[in-house]
Amino acid sequence: MIKITNLSKSYGETKALDNLSLEIKEGSIFGLLGVNGAGKTTLLSILNGLVVQDGGDVKVFGLDMKRHKKEIKALSSIIPQHLAFYENLSVKENLDFFAKIQNATKEHYDKALEVNSLQTVLNQKASTLSGGQKRRLNISIGLLNNPKVIYFDEPTVGIDPKSRNEILDTIKGYKKLGVTVVYTSHYMNEIEKICDEVAIISHGRLVEQNSIENLTTNRNSDAVSVEVAYAENLKTLGVELTTETTIATKESELFSTLELLKKNNVFVKRINYGSSDLEKRFLEITGGDDV
Amino acid sequence: MFRAMIKKEFLLVFRDKHALLALFVMPAVFILIMSVAMRDQFTSKNIEFSLYANDMDKSQASERFIANLKADEKLRLQEKEEGAQFVLSVPKNYSKEPASQITINVKESIKSDQLEVFKSMLLARLLGEKFEAKQSLFTVEYDNSSKIPNSTQQSVPAWIVFGMFFIIIPMSTIYVNERKQNTLARLNSMNVSVFAMSVSKSVPYLVVNQIQVFIMLGVGMFLVPLFDTPALEINGSFMALGGISLALSFAAIGVSSLIAVSASSSEQATTIGGILNILLGAIGGVMVPKFIMPESMRTLAEFSPMSWGLDGFMDIFLKSADLNMILGDASKLVAFGLVSLALSMLILRIRINRGL
Repeated sequence: MIKITNLSKSYGETKALDNLSLEIKEGSIFGLLGVNGAGKTTLLSILNGLVVQDGGDVKVFGLDMKRHKKEIKALSSIIPQHLAFYENLSVKENLDFFAKIQNATKEHYDKALEVNSLQTVLNQKASTLSGGQKRRLNISIGLLNNPKVIYFDEPTVGIDPKSRNEILDTIKGYKKLGVTVVYTSHYMNEIEKICDEVAIISHGRLVEQNSIENLTTNRNSDAVSVEVAYAENLKTLGVELTTETTIATKESELFSTLELLKKNNVFVKRINYGSSDLEKRFLEITGGDDV
Repeated sequence: MFRAMIKKEFLLVFRDKHALLALFVMPAVFILIMSVAMRDQFTSKNIEFSLYANDMDKSQASERFIANLKADEKLRLQEKEEGAQFVLSVPKNYSKEPASQITINVKESIKSDQLEVFKSMLLARLLGEKFEAKQSLFTVEYDNSSKIPNSTQQSVPAWIVFGMFFIIIPMSTIYVNERKQNTLARLNSMNVSVFAMSVSKSVPYLVVNQIQVFIMLGVGMFLVPLFDTPALEINGSFMALGGISLALSFAAIGVSSLIAVSASSSEQATTIGGILNILLGAIGGVMVPKFIMPESMRTLAEFSPMSWGLDGFMDIFLKSADLNMILGDASKLVAFGLVSLALSMLILRIRINRGL
């Protein structure tokens, strides 16, 4: 279990975390939601021992962060939002390097490789991988030390829906292995799809911690909204419009919707995954800022 | 862990083609160009003047004087005035009044110091004639401490020193990329200490610097002579050579680390590093040899680590220095490197604590 009590951290005059307290159950997938600048990254950095808190306590599996930082680091792993590996090295060279500095066993090395399906691109230079493969390499590196808790900081940014779903399925699989997952994302439906519990942070404070079931009613996790440029013929295409330029669809129908838009020369500006219910709840709590 | 970190750094450095170009090709080309271009400026043997003598006296004395000039291998006496650097006019009453003035007409633009050399050569001839000397009046002997280098002896160490400090380019690029892509934070989350990060980065650059020295010495010894320029001769001990190049490398790694961890982008690091290199090189005697600098500039040069390295190399090439002789310069370089490296570790520690 991860127990955070009255955690505070300031950068100059700015309070990044303000007396934040929360608990994360062992073996759960825990979602962390908040607008940009809410304090999510600072919290993840403190939980990983990268940043030292100004006040408050963090206990990871009973170990106090102030006294057992090294041990806690060995038990945990962070999958950063940025691709934290070496683009000029091959997949194998990257994995070998990170494995050696953590004294990873062959068993864990092979598992990290297999879980993320990287066997076929082992000798490929990391810079030449597709967006999804790069994300998977980023995740694989984080699994090499066989962590008990993994922190995912928006791991699906900028990748295609297929790779995204594969990654989400992989993360869901960690729960079966007893690994605790802390997950931050801008995509509400990802949080809904994989998390057991969610904490919403605003201005460095915890504003709500609850299970997904309690946070959302009329759960509709495969809803997708497609934002397009204004087009006169949009209404005649037979799509469901929520605003003049937003189409409501489902994840299973996304490809056919995109195909239809392409056929009719409608330019897609943005695709938003997520149930409107969690999003609505989030907006109510945070006052309508962007996630 | 160290082995893996060092191996990673080696792979990254040797895959950075632009950095390799700056580290190995740039100084080699500089050595070649500067050694050949400055050959005549540094070598007194090659000083030669062409002149035309206009004997208006036509006396025995004036003819003897001109014949004497002909005997000097560094004075090329021409039959015609055209193309000569100087025209000497021996006055009509030369034989009767030996104190009468010989006029030197300078026909093409020539540096004032060369004119002085020419005048000295004439004076030596006149004096020799007066004392009926059978050989040159002067022999020049250099004291060990006052030897001046030839163009190769100046260029090779100068551009070795300059090139070694160019490790700032790959080092800062890799450091900044690691910081921006959160790889350093990731390594830190994997319990890799700042000390381990810094030291593991230093080892490959120490090797890169030694390869640079080896190649540049090779250019000076074997390539430069192909262009009718003196070859580099290593007169001092090889232990001293190894000592000074390791110490210099230490200083270069220290200052490069300091810039790399302080800069917020690789562009900033390479700009600051480039400017600093050029400034240290300019005051340190890389671009302008220290022995032709005025006293005030020579004093300023003592503050440049490049100057300490250059002095060490010069002592080995010119004064047959052993390890003891270069110990002073080497100690200053190691101390400079240690302080810079310690500062860079401190800055990196602070940056990591602040979330980079």
